Amino acid sequence: MGVVTDPRPLLSVDGLVAGYTATDEILKSVELSLQAGEIVSIIGPNGAGKSTLLKVIAGILAPSRGSVHLRGVPIHGRRPREISALGVAFVPQEQNVFPTMTVRENLEMGGYVDPHGSRAKIDAIFTRFPPLAEKRRHAARTLSGGQRQILAMAMALMVEPAVLLLDEPSAGLAPAAAEKLFETIRAINQDGVSIAVVEQNALEALAIAQRGYIMVDGRNSRSGPAAELARDPDVRRIFLGG
Amino acid sequence: MAELLQLLVNGLMAGTVLAVPAIGFTAIYAVLRFPNFALASHATIGAFGGYVANTAGGLPAWAAVAVAFAVAGLVGVLSDTFVLRPLRPAGAITTAIAAVALNIALENVVRFVFGNDHRGYDLPLQRDWQVAAIRIGPQQFQNLVIALIAMAAIFLFLALTRTGKAMRAVADNPTLANVKGVDADRVGRLVSFVGMGLAGVGGMLLGLDTSIDPLTGFRVILSVFAAAVVGGLGSIPGAVVGALTIGVAEELSLVALAPAYRSAVGFVAILLVLTLRPRGILGERAY
Repeated sequence: MGVVTDPRPLLSVDGLVAGYTATDEILKSVELSLQAGEIVSIIGPNGAGKSTLLKVIAGILAPSRGSVHLRGVPIHGRRPREISALGVAFVPQEQNVFPTMTVRENLEMGGYVDPHGSRAKIDAIFTRFPPLAEKRRHAARTLSGGQRQILAMAMALMVEPAVLLLDEPSAGLAPAAAEKLFETIRAINQDGVSIAVVEQNALEALAIAQRGYIMVDGRNSRSGPAAELARDPDVRRIFLGG
Repeated sequence: MAELLQLLVNGLMAGTVLAVPAIGFTAIYAVLRFPNFALASHATIGAFGGYVANTAGGLPAWAAVAVAFAVAGLVGVLSDTFVLRPLRPAGAITTAIAAVALNIALENVVRFVFGNDHRGYDLPLQRDWQVAAIRIGPQQFQNLVIALIAMAAIFLFLALTRTGKAMRAVADNPTLANVKGVDADRVGRLVSFVGMGLAGVGGMLLGLDTSIDPLTGFRVILSVFAAAVVGGLGSIPGAVVGALTIGVAEELSLVALAPAYRSAVGFVAILLVLTLRPRGILGERAY
């Protein structure tokens, strides 16, 4: 007997409309789907609504129209805590750690919704990310930019998520640190976590992804296999500067 | 020289007692992001709660302090839930002004119930201790110990418990705390309880040294605010450092100034810190 696969996407976004005030629509109509085991990159110019899309999926912002489904169950409009407990972990672009708390305490807060087995999970994270283990008793604000991003992702992994939402993880990092970060993202994905990543660094983002979405002005502009998008001359000219 | 040393010891003891409500003030600021000046009336309410437990209930002073904590904490949660919380979306200034109004109202409730008279706790008469040239009152010393226990308890709570860490997380980064599933309303109620409870303990400790009346808290709020600002608003270790600084400075001011001008120390300290180092001694290190 073959393995029965669920035909539904793990995460699907349909006709999403949202903004920070009632009159201001940043997302005008967005579609997105994420299959189990996949990395999807969302790229586009500044102000396209990429970060807003992740915030709506994570429950920080309520959509005014449209829907977000996780394994076919609607999750839009739920509180961040509930969405996190359902297995969707969001890593914000900035201010994604608790600066005065230690690395270890940050990880504990990462697993706040489900403290069971948190000690074992933290030990596993320390084994996997030795730089974090070395700094376990240091305040998070003392970490380098790259270490801080790793900590932020590790905090998200504390809830053993099915879906990881990353908002511009490489922003502000030196090229070497960014490269290491993309390696980490790929490794997390290989452990079975599906990832939607928003990036300015479009080439790198498409290189680690199976599929890509290009957003312009609050709408989907193009989507397709990441390798095809990365090769497409139009896409390269507009977004990749080449 | 002996006189200076005596003032220094008095200042450190006064500063330690002052640190208790100052921690309450700064903790509330760290989580709820507004200066809750209603802390003054909560200190008074705690002092009177402890007074009733001590004189009518027959509890010794150290046990009545727990009653002071509970009563002031409970009033703190209720007043925050029904008066201040609905105003918080309007901004920190609006909420702070409402807190001043709330303070006047609560102070007058105390006046209505207990009158304007000064009242004293039921305390055993004890002779002062003489250590070399320094005089220390046993009650002063007991207050010092109670204040240290209260501070140690709050530090352990913040460092070791899940709830204490959640409170620090909200103070550090409220948006992220929300993403991670911390219930900000619950943390807000908790910080109101603990912060105002500490104010109540502070009010009672001050009253144990002298007497209490409806203005007990009002007389000390400037020093509490100054301690929090000097240490860095929102920083708990800062509140301790600030309170010791203000306590010692107020006592040492007696060398040069008449006691009536003692409160000028708080004003001067606030002015100096806001001019020279606006983030306070320890900045915004929440914990």
